[in-house]
This record gives sequence, C-alpha cells and structure tokens, in this order.
Amino acid sequence: VGDRALAIARKETRQLLRDPVYLGLAFVVPLMLLILLGYQLSLDVKGLLVAVIDRDRSVRSRQYVDGFVHSEYFRLVARLDSEAEAREWIRSGRARVVIDIPPDFGRRLSANEMVAVGVTVDGSFPSRGQISLGYVEAVSTLYNQQLLRGWLVEHGWRGGQVLPVQMEMSVWYNPTLESKNFIVPGMLVVVMMIFPPLLSAQLIVRERENGTILNLYASPISRWDILAGKALPYVAVSFLDFLVIFGVSVWLFQLRFVGSAWLLSAAALLYSVCTIGLGLLISVLTRSQLAAMLATFLVAVAPAFTFSGIFAPVASQDAVGRFVARLIPATYFMDVVRGAYLKGGGAAPYAPNLAALAVYAVAVYATAWLMLRKRVG
Amino acid sequence: MRRRMAALVRKEFSQLFRDVPMLLILGWAFTGAVYTSGHGIATELYRYPIVTLDLSQSAASRELLSRFRAPYFKLVGQVWSDREVVATLDRGEASLAVVIPPDFERNVHEGTARFQVISDGSQSTTATLAGAHIASIAHGYSVERLVGVRGFAGRHIPQIEARPRVEYNPNLVATWFSSLLEVFNQATMIGMLLAAAAMVREREHGTVEHLLVSPLRPIELFAAKLAPVVTLVPLAVVGSVLGIVQGAFQTPIRGSLALFYVVTVVYVFAMASLGLGIAVVARTLGQAMMLLLLIFYPMMLLSGAHTPPESQGAFMRTAGLLSPVRHYVDFGYQVLFKGNGLAYVWQDVAGILVLGVALFLISARRFAQLVR
Repeated sequence: VGDRALAIARKETRQLLRDPVYLGLAFVVPLMLLILLGYQLSLDVKGLLVAVIDRDRSVRSRQYVDGFVHSEYFRLVARLDSEAEAREWIRSGRARVVIDIPPDFGRRLSANEMVAVGVTVDGSFPSRGQISLGYVEAVSTLYNQQLLRGWLVEHGWRGGQVLPVQMEMSVWYNPTLESKNFIVPGMLVVVMMIFPPLLSAQLIVRERENGTILNLYASPISRWDILAGKALPYVAVSFLDFLVIFGVSVWLFQLRFVGSAWLLSAAALLYSVCTIGLGLLISVLTRSQLAAMLATFLVAVAPAFTFSGIFAPVASQDAVGRFVARLIPATYFMDVVRGAYLKGGGAAPYAPNLAALAVYAVAVYATAWLMLRKRVG
Repeated sequence: MRRRMAALVRKEFSQLFRDVPMLLILGWAFTGAVYTSGHGIATELYRYPIVTLDLSQSAASRELLSRFRAPYFKLVGQVWSDREVVATLDRGEASLAVVIPPDFERNVHEGTARFQVISDGSQSTTATLAGAHIASIAHGYSVERLVGVRGFAGRHIPQIEARPRVEYNPNLVATWFSSLLEVFNQATMIGMLLAAAAMVREREHGTVEHLLVSPLRPIELFAAKLAPVVTLVPLAVVGSVLGIVQGAFQTPIRGSLALFYVVTVVYVFAMASLGLGIAVVARTLGQAMMLLLLIFYPMMLLSGAHTPPESQGAFMRTAGLLSPVRHYVDFGYQVLFKGNGLAYVWQDVAGILVLGVALFLISARRFAQLVR
C-alpha cells in the first residue's frame, strides 16, 4: 500500500518540478508579501488628522492643544472657527477628529471647575473611531495630570510622589509596541494558509478536468494512496516555505524570537498537513480549477485573515467571530507562533493547540476520503 | 462584426453558467462570506481579558478593580502569586495583569499608593488603547481618593472631561464596516480572478489559436472576456449591499445607490482588466492565482481600510494612490455611509477611471503582442 502512495508522490514531485516558474512563485510570493509588511507597511495607527476649534485662545487652551501637536498619534491639520466647518472637514475626510474647546475653558479651570471639551469623531471606520477616542482620552488624561499636579502644589501637597495613586505600567513581549513584531509572525500563519492550500486544491480537480482521473479510477490504487501520495510532496513544499519565511524573519528582519525553534517547526509541520488536507478536500468537492481556487480563497484564505486574531485578540471578537475562530486551524497555530516569537517558554501551554491541529487534520483527511468516490460521473 | 462579438460574448456567458458548483461558491461569496466577515476583525478595546493579583484585599483595592469593567475589560481570573501572573500571560489567557501590593489601602490614605499593570504588548494597537484607558481609570481614581486624604477633602479640582460625539456610526458598530469591506474585497478578488480564468482557460486548453485565427481583433476578444464579469459582479455587489449589509445588519445606507452602482461597474472593469493582464503573463491558472494574491494583499492593506493612509510613510502613501482599491474603498464608504455625492468623491472616481482605462490598454497591448 505504502509503495503505491510513494509512487504517486514521486509522480506529483516530478510534475511539480516540471513547472519551475510555478514552484518558484510559491516561494517568492510569500517572501515578497512578508518583506513588504516587514519593511514598508505599517499597521500602527499614527498621525491621525485632527482639527481644533479653539474658542478660548488662552494660555490654558494652547497648552491643551499642544498635547495633540506633540503626540505622535495625531497631526494637527487645521484650526477651525465653527461647528459647521468642523462637520464639513469630517465629512470630506480631511479630519478624523475635531476638538472643540469652549470659550470659558481657561477661566473655569483657573476657578478650579470642571470643563467639558467636545470631541467629534468620524465613525465611518468604527475601529479607527474607537482608536481615535482612545488617543484623545490619553492626551486629555495627560493634561488632567498636569492640572492636578499644579493644583496639588498650589495647595501645599507634600506626598512622596506626584500623584496620590500612581500606576506603573510595564509592557511585556513587545516592549516597543511595534505592530511589526506581531504582524510578521501573524503573516507567517496567514501566508501558510494561502499558498499551500491553493497548490493542493488543484491536485484532484485538475485530473478531473483533464480526464486523467479515469486512470486513477481504473487502477488498483486505494483512496488513501491517492490522498497520501498527493499530499506528501506538497506538505514538504509547505514546510520548506515555512523554513524560508522563518529564516528571513529572524535573520533578515531581526525579529525577536525567544521560543523553541523545534516546537515551532513541529507545529508548522502539523499545520502544513492541515492546510494541504483542506486544499485536497476542496479539490475533491469541486468540478473546475476556477471553482477550487475561489473556494480556497473563501474557505481557507479569507477566514485566516479575518478570524485568526492577526490584528486583534480573538477574545475581543463577538460570539459569532469567536465561534468561527475556533473552527479554523489558523487560530490554533497563531498562538503557537506568537508564543514562540514573542513569549518563549516550553511546549506545555501549547499542547491543546497541537491537539486541536491534529484533530483538524484527521477530520479533513477523513472527509476527503469519504467524498472521494472512485466512480465516473 | 457586431454579430461576431455577440456570439463571443454569448460563449463567455454560457461557459460561466455551465459550472454550477462555481456559481454556488460565487453565491456564497456575496452572502454567507459577507455575513460571517461582519463578525470578524475588530481592533477596538472590547472584552480585553485581564487577570488580577490583589494582595491588598481591601475596600480600596476592590474599588479600584471594580473600575476595570465591561464592555472594555473582562476579568478572566484572580491569581495569588507572581508566578501565576507570568503563566497566565504566557499562555495568552489574559492580555493584561493588574497587581496591587499589600500596603495599598494604607498608602492610599497617605497619598503614596502605587499599583502595577503588566500588559501583553504582542498586539500593539489594542495594548496601546488598553494602556490609555487604564491611565485614565487610575487618574480618575486618584482624583476621587484625594477626598479621603487629610487636608484635601471637599475641595474642587480643575479637570477637563472629553464629551465624545461620533458621526455616521454613533455606537461604533463594527459589523457595518466589516461586512461592507468584505463586499469590496469580493468585488476585487472575484473581478480579477474570473477575468483571469476566462483567459488562462483558453491557453491551458490550447484554444487561443482558435480565437486568433478568427476574424476578431484582439481588443474585441478582450472586451468579450470582460463582458460577463463587468455585468455580473457589480449586480452581485449591489445585491449584497442591499441584502446583507443593509438587510441583515441594519446598516444605514445614506448615499445614492445609482452612483455606487455606476462606479462599481468602472471599478470591476479596472480589476478585471488587471486580471486579464496577469493572465496574459501567466501560463496556468495556478500561476495566475499566485500573481493575483501577490497584488491583492498589498493593495488591500494599503487601501486605507485597515490603517488610515496618513499613518503610512510617504512612499507607501504614494504607492497606494496607484491602486484602484484605495480609491474604491474611500469612495464606497463616503457614498454609502456618509451620503456624499460626486462633489466629495470626484477625485476617487477620476482615479478609478484613469487607472481602469490604463490597465485595460496596457493589458490589451500585452495581449496583442502575444498574438503577433
């Protein structure tokens, strides 16, 4: 039985090597995506366009506005005069945030009163809207701390520290809070869910389109032999792809990598078995290469991008999102990859993830085996 | 000549309609996929998982911890040692730990209290937001606790308070945005792929020669290949916007659907031309798909949907302008969400039009060279 699977694997390998352009693309394309993301593209939200209506024009209001000028998260684009103007700037997208400072701002603060500042945010990109509000909150808190400190000094504060209750924040795993450090490992997960399944999704449907599937039907080769024989060389390609990306990210990008390369490699191999299996399953179920590619894009590629937690924690998605996240292998592999790059530590915390990947692999191949009927029509 | 064109267009349509599983997949792309994606990516601070190590166990510490509340934070556990804090963060069960020292309450009364926050920075955007929010919680707590500190009770403290107002999506519902983004992604990907497949299929089956010996000019062949894509995809886009984005998620659609439809036709024309151009270079469908994805992901990430264009460096910002996706995403959200008309989006429309015509001409030229 094993011999027949190996024979198919040999044939697939030969076919793969006959199209070096294609095979080359399978390595070059993921690398180019990674280089682009690692070097050029930034997913940090910075330099948001902010406009100010300063109706007070006092020393205090200028101090507050300076908080926005000096923050890397904002870029002050205009000083406006009216609310109507502000609405227009937000509508046309020239400003994402407008800060509206009331005329009695400075006077009321000097009288030790509370002052409300209007913040208008463009909500058409909701997550950017929330990020904007968070950044405004940060600038306002800083200003409030300044105010409080000044007030305390004025009132003879003799506490040992500048504020009565002090927070000390330390950031672990990615101390500089750069998105590159988590996006590039995240892209490793996504890229391995893009190209390997696309390669394997054509394997059976192509034979069907060309009519060569009849040779397989007529031969004594079992369904297992077909699946295993076709999967084997492509799992190898996927794993090589992983090694290349891993190497480039660590040596070329000098990304932080503190974990075990062995653990990561083992998980990557298991993940490759899953992704190739998913492609094969799609290949068994479709009738044309085009349909297989589209299905792969929709079932494998897009969910890995949307639900695996590459941009934000899975825990922050809503119930439907969390449910879909639990169904796809990318989510389980993502934890292992991020852990290996950023956190380190042993294999023990990731045992459930590896188990989930194994279950997924078994399920995918078993379904493909069931659906691969050796019959004509 | 018109009869010849009509025959060719008919052939392209029937080839598309013959593949029933593919039609089902296309149907899913504009319904189910859009629906599930409505629930995906959300970078805001929502149910951010926290763990607490409260060594003080006092009224003061409980009062502070009670401020880490829903919907921003979700308490996933309490631990009793530093080691457990590390383990919980390592396993990723919590993204943030709040550590309160044993002498917290006494120090609050003396005005020298400190507490520690350990943040998992591996998702930097959300971690930054969480940090900002906690700083404001700590500050608010500080101010209130001053009342209990000797000599400061009953005094007024000067403070500012931000009163947020959110335009167009007051509750910042993420599904409105992400379901529409998925529709745009489908239009992009499917527009390119269907056109590319129509061309590559002829090459793979060796039927290009049949077409070449026919009396049709290359540009007519090209137009015939584009016809089904440019007809069907924009209809599916509008259907999906009405059925799923508006129908299922109750997203308010403010702008002109007619304008949206017309520009979508131009956009799909641009993307399909790009797809054909790639198909001229590629020899197999597999190769074409690889090249498509190499173009698709950078275009998508530069579209301004994930990060605002102003966050990119100058080079990437300029590069983004060369991508029809960037203009279309901006156009789509402006028209559908903000209700903006041509006066606001004419630059985007001009961008799509110019890029579309350029892509068509370049691709058609490459094809003509191949033919000769």
